[in-house]
Amino acid sequence: MANILLVDDDQTFVDTTRELLELLGHSVATATSFSSAKEIISSRTFDHLILDLILPDGSGLHLLDAIEDQNASSITLVTGHPSVKALVKDLLGPNISYLIKPIDLKQLKAAISSTRRTNVKSDSSDLHFGCLVGESKPMHRLYEQIRRVAKTKANVMLMGESGVGKEMVAAAVHTASQVKGELVATNCGAFSGELIASELFGHEKGAFTGAIQRKEGVFEQAIGGTLFLDEVTEMPIDQQPSLLRVLETQKLTRTGGTTLINVDCRVVSATNRSEAQLAKEKCLREDLYYRLAVFPISIPPLRQRKEDIPLLVAYFLKDFNEEYGANIGVSDEAMDRLSKYDWPGNVRELRHAIHRAYIMADDEQELIVLPDDFSSPFSQGGSEASPGIAVGKTVEDVERELIQSTLSHYDGDKKTTADVLGVSLKTLYNRLNSYAEEQV
Amino acid sequence: MTDDLRKIVHDARNPLNNISVNAELGKLSLESLDDKARAIEVLDTIVRECKRCSDVLDTLTEAIAQSEQEER
Repeated sequence: MANILLVDDDQTFVDTTRELLELLGHSVATATSFSSAKEIISSRTFDHLILDLILPDGSGLHLLDAIEDQNASSITLVTGHPSVKALVKDLLGPNISYLIKPIDLKQLKAAISSTRRTNVKSDSSDLHFGCLVGESKPMHRLYEQIRRVAKTKANVMLMGESGVGKEMVAAAVHTASQVKGELVATNCGAFSGELIASELFGHEKGAFTGAIQRKEGVFEQAIGGTLFLDEVTEMPIDQQPSLLRVLETQKLTRTGGTTLINVDCRVVSATNRSEAQLAKEKCLREDLYYRLAVFPISIPPLRQRKEDIPLLVAYFLKDFNEEYGANIGVSDEAMDRLSKYDWPGNVRELRHAIHRAYIMADDEQELIVLPDDFSSPFSQGGSEASPGIAVGKTVEDVERELIQSTLSHYDGDKKTTADVLGVSLKTLYNRLNSYAEEQV
Repeated sequence: MTDDLRKIVHDARNPLNNISVNAELGKLSLESLDDKARAIEVLDTIVRECKRCSDVLDTLTEAIAQSEQEER
């Protein structure tokens, strides 16, 4: 049910439409002049406004000014001629619906349901590019970078710790670019050597054992759009030249095929390694780096934008409330604790923590219940223990911290962690097991 | 078309619009509410709005005749 204000100077129309809307289950207030509408608006809020543009004592457009601060309302304009629609659209933007006389029931129903959809959109107007949350300085810098690069065709490389939301930023770049094609995402770390070529470039039927039919690669699927290559640094180094070639020529041939296919799309790649690590670890060919990172963007970790935590918490709660049909909030004390924590797993870890606290929520008070300790298996040695070497620490403590921070740095990849630390995988497992036992 | 004529055409849309919404209301009254008395009231409104529309069309005819005279 919607709460509707209907403003039109034709009394018969107002009476009849009120009755129709009430029969449809809505609650309706009416006004037949600008002044009475303004008075009603000043004392009550409405979900929807159905508005005649021309009123005897003023313009409906001025009423829109009056409700500007009551941002919850969505607007339907009643007009006699479709041409008004085009005129006013330029003036007021697309977030407005229209009823064109003569009005029938179908039109009326559609206007109410479409304004309802706009309403949802305006609720989430604090989202940037339809998916990013945050008003901190580092985020505004990020938004500016996204806006700039969206106007170009440059390939973007996203850098940032695990959990900062690289896929979200890729989606934002795609949205901001307003391209016709799709956003197609793939994870380069998820495919073995031979399979990655088929995933990226596709294959012809019979190209290799098991290729029972022709397959389009992600490059082809993303033509005219955006291709998101997550964990691009995990791509086997011997496969990287073929990617480089496609980026250079903007043409590909499917595995086992002969036809050259033009591929024109923006490639947004992502890695959780820093620029320094890229150079040192040689996981990405230098020439490929320059092709992919025409415009590198680093996404700030959550601990560098703690003022965004309340916004993110509110956003996640709204999401869960919608999903579970409940109305759970957060106490000031809980928000304070959430804001103080370092969140080594970044936004992903925060979302996970809120979800857990939501499941544990106090149903009577309608508040989330936080655990005593936020730390996850991947965030050991996070906020409280100060990492690094300090006098007074035991060799075991330092070793443990070293192992845990290395492990968390590599996203829990035990093999890489063991390699980097110069110990066998077995030793690493033994240490981790002993830490786990200590905790129990 | 002059602005005056345009305005009269616009005025004709209002009774037409009322005929349309009242017809919808009449349908709902009979279909969902089985309220014959309300349906008859609604039909009366439709007849009234038809007359109003006809009046507007008369005004339109006069205005067209006048503008044709002025042209001569």
